[in-house]
Amino acid sequence: MAALIEAIGLTMRFGGIVAVRELDLAVNQGELVGLIGPNGSGKTTTINMLTGHLSPAGGRIQLRGERADGLPADRFAMRGVGRTFQITQLFSRMSVLENLLVPGLVRPHSTWDAARRQARLHLEFLGLAALEAAQARTLSGGQQKLLELGRALMLDATILFLDEPFAGVNPYLRDEIIRLVQQLHAQGRTFVVVDHDLEAIQRLVHRLVVMSRGQKIADGTVNAVRDDAEVIRAYAGV
Amino acid sequence: MRSGNLAGLGCILLVALVFPFLVDTYWQTVGILAIFYAIVAASWALLVGYAGQFSFGHMGFVSLGAYASALLVQWLAIPIPLGMAGAVVLSTIVGAGVGFICLRMRGPYLAIFTMAFSEVLRIVLLTENEVTGGAGGLEVAPLFHTRSNLPSYYLALGLLAASLGIMSLMVASRWGLFFRAIRENEQAAAAGGVRVVRFRVLVFAIASGFAGLAGTFYGPFIGILTPDIGSVDQMGIVVAMAMIGGAESLPAAVLGAFFVEWMYEALRAYGEWRLVIFGALLLLTMRFARNGLLALAWNQAVRVVPAWRRTQPAGGAAE
Repeated sequence: MAALIEAIGLTMRFGGIVAVRELDLAVNQGELVGLIGPNGSGKTTTINMLTGHLSPAGGRIQLRGERADGLPADRFAMRGVGRTFQITQLFSRMSVLENLLVPGLVRPHSTWDAARRQARLHLEFLGLAALEAAQARTLSGGQQKLLELGRALMLDATILFLDEPFAGVNPYLRDEIIRLVQQLHAQGRTFVVVDHDLEAIQRLVHRLVVMSRGQKIADGTVNAVRDDAEVIRAYAGV
Repeated sequence: MRSGNLAGLGCILLVALVFPFLVDTYWQTVGILAIFYAIVAASWALLVGYAGQFSFGHMGFVSLGAYASALLVQWLAIPIPLGMAGAVVLSTIVGAGVGFICLRMRGPYLAIFTMAFSEVLRIVLLTENEVTGGAGGLEVAPLFHTRSNLPSYYLALGLLAASLGIMSLMVASRWGLFFRAIRENEQAAAAGGVRVVRFRVLVFAIASGFAGLAGTFYGPFIGILTPDIGSVDQMGIVVAMAMIGGAESLPAAVLGAFFVEWMYEALRAYGEWRLVIFGALLLLTMRFARNGLLALAWNQAVRVVPAWRRTQPAGGAAE
């Protein structure tokens, strides 16, 4: 069976710098994958390519077996690829509810009533129901991360890329995010989570992919990757 | 729409309907020009206030509409309304083209590009004097063969009402939500599935179409067109109108146009100093009321109506 999303020889260059070099990565339906690596290892660039926010300089992306590289981000979103960002990206001066209505109304046959109902269900699930009329910019950092997650859920995304979901989040909300991701994963959603918080990510994922200097250096179970000599070397900087 | 908004708009419409019977011909002309500017300011507010695409070339589309309409009528000997319709279509198409070219531009780069477009158009109109009349102007046949301002006034009012109605429906629809999402954060909008390219081009096209429509009315009303209609000075006036009124609200932008045009005439005795007064007013708006002075006042006023209703006993208003 074809992977849900697959990167084959994916390469990205910024001027003379190769940010990602010939990366092969396949994520299957229902997996919960952690993508880790030291700063500048190319994790966010990889996510940006796999969600259409960057066009790869080389290689290709297969989404459910179909070629998808070069498609714009909105086409990825409409094909069920959701994401959150390293630095939270919201519609700051729009209400919490409107932030979810935007993805809820992008499909031509969607209606306002149905989108509102769906948005309120997600806000309830995320614990943000009481804040639906508040402007997004007034939320705390953790609540903004949750709202971003809600936006991806509104797309009915089958695969979600979470870029540093625990960065700048207090321990209580971090545990809450872990609980919500586990719950969504149990419902059948596929996740790729990027983070520096190794403790949190080990609690969450089943498979770890490690990148260093734009290349994949390890891919396996959490235990196997944790003991990998090359991974230790990359993190220790030796 | 909130009941206060409807009541406010109803009052303004009522005043606008009786206005020409309360003033002399001079102020009727001022009123017509204010309505012309109101269409331009509202369409600029749609582009800038709602969609966040800061164009400084909007008056270029006004002059494109004005000249295209006049020349179509002159060359093809078609009725003026047909020429107007053709010019609106042309402005919309050119607007879509400009919107497409500036897809990767934001903020000051977009403002400079659109200003350059408008200036190039103005200089072409100035230079091609065999076609456009150059600085001497292009004579335009009037829409109404009468000395009365009333037909022009009510036509302008009708055009404003129709433009405002269409634009209001648009901003209340999912398109309006997508425009605002693009204004707030294009990356997040794309991640949410919004077709950013399509909607940026669309809003440019629509706003340019309405600017062109205003231009098609301006020519036959004034009777002569000069390239100065698309000048940076004129654009500055439209920016002042929309910003003082409130660029994130269509009715506020319209009120801004009425207010500035009225001030422009009321302060005529102060000569060029009135421009200094507008500048100071704009600075104060930017510093203390970024969403517009009149939008602030409007929001306060429309709250009065529901609050007043709540104070009334059930079954009707007080005597």
